[in-house]
Amino acid sequence: MAVSISNKPKLPVVVEKPTPYTFDLGLLLAQDPNPVALDASSVDSSLAQLARDGAQSLINQLLTTCPLQSTSDGVLLTLPPPATRLPREKPVPQPKPPTKWERFAAKKGIKPKTREQRKNLAFDEESGEWKRKWGYKALNKKGEDDWLVEVDPKKEAERKEGTSVRGDGRRERKENMRRNERKMRKNERDAAAKMGKKN
Amino acid sequence: MLRQVKPRNARSKRALEKREPKANENPKTCLFLRGNNCSQIVQDAMNDLFAMRQPLSKKFTKKNPIHPFEDAASIEFFSEKNDASLFVFGSSQKKRPHAMTLIRTFGHKVLDMLELHLDPETYRSIAQFKTKKFAIGMRPMLLFAGSAFESPVPNEYTLAKSILLDFFKGEPSDKIDVEGLQYIISVAAEDAAGEGDAKPAIRLRVYTISTKRSGQKLPRVEVEEIGPRMDLRVGRMQEADEAMLKEAMKKPRGTEERTKKNVTLDSMGDKLGRVHLGKQDLSQLQTRKMKGLKRSRDDGVELEDVIVDEPKRARK
Repeated sequence: MAVSISNKPKLPVVVEKPTPYTFDLGLLLAQDPNPVALDASSVDSSLAQLARDGAQSLINQLLTTCPLQSTSDGVLLTLPPPATRLPREKPVPQPKPPTKWERFAAKKGIKPKTREQRKNLAFDEESGEWKRKWGYKALNKKGEDDWLVEVDPKKEAERKEGTSVRGDGRRERKENMRRNERKMRKNERDAAAKMGKKN
Repeated sequence: MLRQVKPRNARSKRALEKREPKANENPKTCLFLRGNNCSQIVQDAMNDLFAMRQPLSKKFTKKNPIHPFEDAASIEFFSEKNDASLFVFGSSQKKRPHAMTLIRTFGHKVLDMLELHLDPETYRSIAQFKTKKFAIGMRPMLLFAGSAFESPVPNEYTLAKSILLDFFKGEPSDKIDVEGLQYIISVAAEDAAGEGDAKPAIRLRVYTISTKRSGQKLPRVEVEEIGPRMDLRVGRMQEADEAMLKEAMKKPRGTEERTKKNVTLDSMGDKLGRVHLGKQDLSQLQTRKMKGLKRSRDDGVELEDVIVDEPKRARK
């Protein structure tokens, strides 16, 4: 006892209220549900007292319940996520409806390609080298610039005017690209129509 | 409705993507507008509020012929154009002097509105307090005092609490520097004295916090007022449409944390974990080693010797 008398008197840090405060530490919020009675003569000093009690209890609560972490930048408090529900700014985005391929893959149980499969490298058995699957000098252009091409006379007779077997591969490749883009546009159109209907 | 712009380059595309609805939303931008007539006091008060919400606020200074409670179309237009979802609209009329209307929008449509009348006698701006101010972008601590804010039925005070919370909550973060806890915004409402129609004023005060050593583990907190000081009387209000509010309160999927199994908090707030162990294999149990229990090389002969040996050991 003698020690405490010789030291400065301890400042009170505990706030006593008839109804305890409620806190939402995620928002740094303290709620004092006690009825407020202000002195008509000194409104501001009683408000300051009220705020001091609130600040004290909020800081007490923060320092006792939140995990503290000291870093080189300072002492960091980890706050819990906010509990008070506030309205959103914009509606929750809806998930995009699946494309036709995604629906098909789900039905058949086809898994998305792995990282290894998506890589633009494949082993070419003929040359015994690793080559690109697409792009410059890639495997999908194989046989397009062969110096000699075997021709089926029957098909050659049915061929459209003004075309030759040369460039067939390229034409097919380009057509595939266009086809894929058509499908993509259709998927987008369908998705937009479906999302529009939901709203 | 604004015309739908299709982005023509990557920069404008990114800008539009920022505005799109997201599961995890951007902090709300607040827009400060003034009406055709707006008293100097309300303009000062709006400047103060603007300064307190600094990085997330925008202010327009031109006069706008808007009456938000009559026709909110312009507010909705401003909301869409500026990607703002909080508004403070200042106006002053003979019938409704020194009014600040707080408006929230959801999906660029007005969600709820609350009119607050500023008391010109007791208003003090930030500049009138000659004290040290807090740094921009600090998160305030909030205090709502008074039983009016705890009302179970939605009324002006619960709406005021919700809007002011939205207004002052700042940028959400899960970590905060202890040094960053610099100021507290205290919102207090007295209890209604009688059953009259006079509603108690909402008293908004802002204080800086200083901590002193108390000789205990927790510091002693002292406050000093830094302004603004506003006494606000509640005026008209428009509550949120029920269906709209329900939509606005929706939580996106996948944000809630998964409950961890076997971890509980007890009433003292201590974390308790329950650990399940498999059944222990008793045959592997290490017991006291005794010569007698040792597996012998050839069973029959050795067994007799051991029995003779045992009592000798015990005597030692």
